[in-house]
Amino acid sequence: MKRQVPLVLCFVFGIAMIFTRFSPHSVSQWIYEEVISWILIIGPFALVLATVTLIQTHTTRIRRRTEHWQYSLVVFAGLIIMVLIGVPFGPQNSIFEWLYNNVQLPMDATMFSLLAFFIASAAYRAFRARTFEASLLLLTAVVVMMGNVPIGDFIWNTIMSWSPWTDKVSEARQWILDNPNLSARRGIILGVSLGVISQSIRIILGIERSYLGGGD
Amino acid sequence: MNMDRRIVFILVALAVIIPMLLSVNLPVSVSEPTQKFYDYVESLPAGSTIMIGFDYGPSSLAELNPMAKALLKQCFDKDIRVIGMTLVVDAPTLVSALIQEVAAEKGAVEGEDYVFLGYRPGEIQVMLGIGTDIASVYDTDYNGTAISEIPMMQNITNYDQIDLLVDFASSDTVESWIIYANVQYNQKIAAGVTGVIIAQMFPYLQTGQLVGLLSGILGAAEYENLVGAPAKGMQWINVESFVHLLIVVLVIVGNITYFIHRSREA
Amino acid sequence: MDLWSSIGIWVAAFLTLSIYSVLYRDNPFYRFAEHLFVGVSVGYGIVLSIYQGFIPFAWKPFTAAMTGESLTGFIKLIPIGIGLLFFARLSPRHTWLIRYPIAILIGFGSGIAIPNVLRANIFEQTRGTIEPFAAIYAGTLAGWGIFEAVLMVVGVVCTLIYFFFSTEHRGPVKWLSKVGIAFLMIGFGSAFGNTVMGRVALLIQRVDFLLSDWLHIIQ
Repeated sequence: MKRQVPLVLCFVFGIAMIFTRFSPHSVSQWIYEEVISWILIIGPFALVLATVTLIQTHTTRIRRRTEHWQYSLVVFAGLIIMVLIGVPFGPQNSIFEWLYNNVQLPMDATMFSLLAFFIASAAYRAFRARTFEASLLLLTAVVVMMGNVPIGDFIWNTIMSWSPWTDKVSEARQWILDNPNLSARRGIILGVSLGVISQSIRIILGIERSYLGGGD
Repeated sequence: MNMDRRIVFILVALAVIIPMLLSVNLPVSVSEPTQKFYDYVESLPAGSTIMIGFDYGPSSLAELNPMAKALLKQCFDKDIRVIGMTLVVDAPTLVSALIQEVAAEKGAVEGEDYVFLGYRPGEIQVMLGIGTDIASVYDTDYNGTAISEIPMMQNITNYDQIDLLVDFASSDTVESWIIYANVQYNQKIAAGVTGVIIAQMFPYLQTGQLVGLLSGILGAAEYENLVGAPAKGMQWINVESFVHLLIVVLVIVGNITYFIHRSREA
Repeated sequence: MDLWSSIGIWVAAFLTLSIYSVLYRDNPFYRFAEHLFVGVSVGYGIVLSIYQGFIPFAWKPFTAAMTGESLTGFIKLIPIGIGLLFFARLSPRHTWLIRYPIAILIGFGSGIAIPNVLRANIFEQTRGTIEPFAAIYAGTLAGWGIFEAVLMVVGVVCTLIYFFFSTEHRGPVKWLSKVGIAFLMIGFGSAFGNTVMGRVALLIQRVDFLLSDWLHIIQ
């Protein structure tokens, strides 16, 4: 019951999706549509996992009085306020939208923008042309960075105003992305995809079982 | 060599603030992937339908909102109907406001020129569900109006009636749309993506699995240029110039000091 | 501008600056904003998941089945029941029950991935790599285009060789994998250059907000 049934379910649903992909028969298509409607229903419940894990983490921090445990109360305050307003009145309630626009949105946007500072700092401290490979990475990054912004072509066109060649920095950036970058990315896509397919086969056949977790 | 990193932080802040106050305006050329995107939308006749996946949250709005606005303007100007949706849970409030803002500016009517369906959980099953029947995934739009009562949705059942799917993405959703909507349902797809994932889009562009690509804030600026509506994209890419220049200078200075240090040690 | 909008801008500005304060050093303002962000985001996610996930996919089919509105609705009670097993996570003794819905989701995902990934990422990408040679054969690609076509094949093959660990990287394989590394470095360099553009754009947007919406220094 605890391990065999999930393995069978995984096998049945996996095989069903492969089979229906190659069979245009009406029964096959009915199965395909029914499975998708089932998955649409089951999927949202997975949110329970994420929420429970977050609540457990912060409850434990408060109970054990770990360092900065008071801030876990702030997590709960934010969560409870959003839920208390959003659940009864819906996501289009004006107070709920106000909280989203003036609390959540600015913090989310700002949090990720911090990386701009850290990238600049890292570029200064760690981006060194120590080896041939590192030099290649560095040179490409510089060309792409300058090709991404109008000042790159502006500098080029100013310096090279005597020549017929214009906008060569953005052209160089585009060439790199279209050619050597494309090859490397395609190699990665092919490698990763072969891995995904083999892993999927292992999962369906029950060889790979790590998703079942530990225990009996 | 061991400069306090807070000095770098101040330099970065100044490289943003000063050009913003001076409002610099350098010309932006248009790259081929952006031109292909624009040309494809331009080639669609009036009355066509574009589905836009606004698959990004507030953390990526700086890069994707400007290009989304430019595309919406182009669609409303050309009488192309827009179906908006999202696979990202923290997007609906943001996207709803964005569409309404552009629609109000262009006089587009909700339910006739555009509809925002909102969010549904589950990436792959939503993409596949839309292929069988949109109503099986979205029985109502974001406002709660039944799909069957929305005028523009009367003749739209699945991908067969959608002329182009555009994904504005900050994660792996473009690949998923290609793998499931393009492969399974032959849906034409174009994408506008954040800087982090630009580089990995190019193999799909070369094979035609993507008909066009907008690259971050640069793509937004280029598209605003093409649509003839310069806005935040144009403004920000100019400010961006100075930060990139600063970072390149920092890399050069860092390397010079490194090599001087190394030659002294040798 | 109404009062609530003004208050909203001041709140947003305060929280924005609180987060930036970490650039000086870790402090209570940053920690407060960081934790508030987590709580509010999860709260928003719960509300949206209920209204845009549970209600349309579980509650509506459930009520339709209960009221007899739809006979086929009864079959939908099965996936609803399976989905409810996720709540078993709350009881240590019954946690194993969440394996059922997880197994179904994983089985579905694996099954649907195999044929689609195969076509989108293996067949199509291989076609894209060799297609330029058909153009060369047809005489529509010449000069620099031929160089780019050859470069692409060399890049793809050498990158794959670098990731191929079933044989020892010695002799010619070693050199080919070194070429693969060179292509990968260019790929990563491109990614870095673009990532810089992305992250800086986020910063510019926040500074734009502070200077225009909050301080009204710029338009």
